[in-house]
Amino acid sequence: MKNVYTVGQVNAYIKNMFTQDFLLQSLMVKGEVSNCKYHSSGHIYFTLKDEKGTIPCVMFVRDRNGLQFRLQEGQQVVVTGRVDVFERDGKYQLYARQIVQDGAGFLYERFEQLKRSMREQGMFAPEYKRPIPGYIRTLGVVTAPTGAAVRDIINIATRRNPYIQIILYPAVVQGQQAAESIVNGIRALERLGVDVMIVGRGGGTIEDLWAFNEEIVAQAIFDCSVPVISAVGHETDTTIADFVADLRAPTPSAGAELAVFDYGQFRERMTELSAGLNARMRRKLDWERMRLQKAGVKLQYLSPAGRIRERRGELTKREERLKERMGRRLTAEQNRLRLAAERLRGLSPAEKLSQGFSHVADAAGHTVTDVRGVEPGDLLTIHVKDGRILAEVKKKEEWQWKKNG
Amino acid sequence: MEEERMTLDEAFRKLDEVTKALEDEHISLEDSFQLYQKGMQLLKYCNDGIDTVEKKVLVINGEGKLDEF
Repeated sequence: MKNVYTVGQVNAYIKNMFTQDFLLQSLMVKGEVSNCKYHSSGHIYFTLKDEKGTIPCVMFVRDRNGLQFRLQEGQQVVVTGRVDVFERDGKYQLYARQIVQDGAGFLYERFEQLKRSMREQGMFAPEYKRPIPGYIRTLGVVTAPTGAAVRDIINIATRRNPYIQIILYPAVVQGQQAAESIVNGIRALERLGVDVMIVGRGGGTIEDLWAFNEEIVAQAIFDCSVPVISAVGHETDTTIADFVADLRAPTPSAGAELAVFDYGQFRERMTELSAGLNARMRRKLDWERMRLQKAGVKLQYLSPAGRIRERRGELTKREERLKERMGRRLTAEQNRLRLAAERLRGLSPAEKLSQGFSHVADAAGHTVTDVRGVEPGDLLTIHVKDGRILAEVKKKEEWQWKKNG
Repeated sequence: MEEERMTLDEAFRKLDEVTKALEDEHISLEDSFQLYQKGMQLLKYCNDGIDTVEKKVLVINGEGKLDEF
């Protein structure tokens, strides 16, 4: 027997070998959880297993913040930690610093965790959202240079406004380099000074879209001084980038619609506004012109010349009235005269004689009107129409007027 | 004009205001002329704010320079 070692010496030797191994000091191991025990001390003991074997694991209470969910039997997990020797039992085990769920569950867990932590930091807060300007000249696009997303964005943007300047950063949007590539794109377009940028890609699985859930991408969007519209996948896909972006578009096409104004509508609005402005000005001018006209009329009425004209008008009116009344009076007098003349004509003796009546006068030339004025033997002169007759009174007789009744 | 750094959105908003102010029949003719002139300037500002030259899509190359896409 050359050398005899104690158990402690062997275990210490082996522990030293483990400690000096670089890989074993920090590694990630995936497997299924079994024999999981939460000890009263706060330490967690469990076994990680796969189809080839098992490895005992422990997570000390001081490392418990590396576990964000309740560890349970059968879970597929990835454990980050070191492999070391537990000398007392002469066995090695995995000392866990962090445990996360593997696969889709693992990604989901990371997504939720990042979302939670960024929300706590206020990175989704509305007060940090930059407004998307309504009328932009340059649109930055961070997406893959091939595929439907970039085509959709270019088509819709140029259809809405053919004069828009689009600057594309051809990013890797999937795989290991994606996050970094997207971050570089955001920064490059920010340096160029675009007005708005769309950061996105077409649809895919949660793994395909994963770059948009990476913290560095979210941070770059948050830090970007240019307003960012996220446009990742389909309507139902939500990524961290969507929460942190200034505006979330459900798809790349929708992103282009939100970013770029419609030139036709702009022209229409300009025409409308211009017409409105002109119509109102015209109305105002018409109104003022009418007011001016009214004022002119009023002024003319009140002016000395106006007053004189008005007086003259009144004078003329009176003159006419006077003339008219005078005329009427004259006509009336003429009528009266005519009537009187008619009447007079009826009373004329010559007229009576022509109708067969005669005028009888005594010798003295006095008109004989009754029998009492004459005596038989008196000489009378009878005037007729064409001459006179000398006559002698033979006899006189008085009419005996019988009273009627 | 005074609103050098105004966005088109703001210019449109001001245009609406000017148009509305012009509707008021109690404003003086001088003021209405001023409003109208301002409105016309705003319209020109909006028009000038929109560049109407068609552009090619540009792409940033590996050296950070711009190429046609």
